[in-house]
Amino acid sequence: MELHSDETIWYFFKKGEANGFSLLFKKYYPQLYVYGLKLSNNRNLTEDCLQNFFVQLFEEREKQNEIKNLKAYLFVSFKRRLINQLQKNQKNIPVSEAQLFKSNFTFSPEEISIHQEIQFLCTSTLANLINKLSPRQKEVLYLKYYSGMKSTDIAEVMDMNYQSVLNVLQKALSKLRKASENQQIKNILKKN
Amino acid sequence: MDKKHNFNLQYFLNDASFENWAKDLNKNDVSYWNNWIQNNPEHLETVENAKSIITGINFNQDYPSNSIVEEALSKVLNKINIDIPAPTKSKKVHSLNTVLLTTAAAVLLILIGYSSLTYFTNQSTTIHKTNYGEIIDLKLSDGTSVVLNGNSEISYDKENPRLLNLKGEAYFKVKSIPSTNAKFWVITNDLKVEVLGTQFHVNTRKQKTNVVLDEGSIHLEFKNGEVAKMIPGEMVSFSNESKKLLHKRVDVETPYALWRGGTYAFNEIPLKDVMTNLELTYGIEVQYSANELMKIPISGGIPNQNLKICIAAIEKATGTRIINKGNILRVQENPIY
Repeated sequence: MELHSDETIWYFFKKGEANGFSLLFKKYYPQLYVYGLKLSNNRNLTEDCLQNFFVQLFEEREKQNEIKNLKAYLFVSFKRRLINQLQKNQKNIPVSEAQLFKSNFTFSPEEISIHQEIQFLCTSTLANLINKLSPRQKEVLYLKYYSGMKSTDIAEVMDMNYQSVLNVLQKALSKLRKASENQQIKNILKKN
Repeated sequence: MDKKHNFNLQYFLNDASFENWAKDLNKNDVSYWNNWIQNNPEHLETVENAKSIITGINFNQDYPSNSIVEEALSKVLNKINIDIPAPTKSKKVHSLNTVLLTTAAAVLLILIGYSSLTYFTNQSTTIHKTNYGEIIDLKLSDGTSVVLNGNSEISYDKENPRLLNLKGEAYFKVKSIPSTNAKFWVITNDLKVEVLGTQFHVNTRKQKTNVVLDEGSIHLEFKNGEVAKMIPGEMVSFSNESKKLLHKRVDVETPYALWRGGTYAFNEIPLKDVMTNLELTYGIEVQYSANELMKIPISGGIPNQNLKICIAAIEKATGTRIINKGNILRVQENPIY
């Protein structure tokens, strides 16, 4: 159960109270950390970047305009910071976002629950199939089902419109569903 | 069937009853949509797609543990210029974060008794704490409903929600468990309330404990060992400091538990304090066009569930104009008055 709404937390955070800061930190550090790790595949970088992100967020709290959606705002600004850092690390070679995240957003079988609506696939097969999706599809799946974000918020984080978010979800999930149906057919054929 | 609708993905995704069908949650919704699909087979593909978006993929989230987060937090706190509260306060920060759960010997707590309960560690304890002006509705695992008023705290052992400590103010609707005759206790600084199934209100503010009984019957056990029985409509007030015990009949409709219906009850409270309540509840800022405005006293009930209605009620009670712009409320004199 959640006792404190984002509005309350943000209010105390902006006031510069340690309580507000801890509440915000404890609520969002874990989520942002895993998101950053999925994006960058680099623990140290994610940790440093995230800690600096919170420091800057605090120092510039008074400059912040009204924030309508705290979660989407935090995800989007942390991602921007992480990209900047990754690009800096690439020295002088300019790299696109797509290239930076090309091999990332991988899921281990342990991260896939055995309880799935999509049946007939074991967790490692499902993890493999998800890992083969496009980076954008993986990121949307991650935000939606791992972070539990609303589709409208995902649109904000991914800089897409709402309809495109639904399209991406639909395409990714129908791929997984097809694989599940094929597996089902294979199972039936084996039995015969 | 309404044919005006565009039965696209969005249509289904924005329908709460469709979501229930997809998750197999509500019998009525399930049979409604099963029926609907039979009659509208042309939309089957969209329905399937919408369903799979709702059910999606179940991940096992692998978030960093509390201790890792605490460690990172202390690192970051060192890097910023922030007033870290004194040790006593930092404990509060901890409890603010609610619900600290672990396993422990629950049975023991009953045996220890209330006098030592203040000492038990947080390890096995669930804490619910509210800020000023915040009201939360809680359902304990035994089915008891608790409405916790602002700036209040209840704590209990995870395994035993029927023995709880209260600071501040709360309303209880205790679920009776006839089969085991399981009792329910509320412990305050001054006394212990023992309950079967009933509805009552406890307030521990101002160095004393007030108990108002709405329904059923309860026993009170005071720190000095005295015992009292209460009947519905009665209020008992006891202070451990003054050792004074007061019985009186109250009109249950009166402010004792007024806030539980979503109303703040004020008695000659300056506008400024009332607005502070709102600031905390809604995360807004209040400004005044003149300092005198802060001192206008307010009496009576102010609905607190909806900011708009709340502002209108305060305007009426104080004869001011309150302008809501973004997240800032500006209090001005009303030219009409």
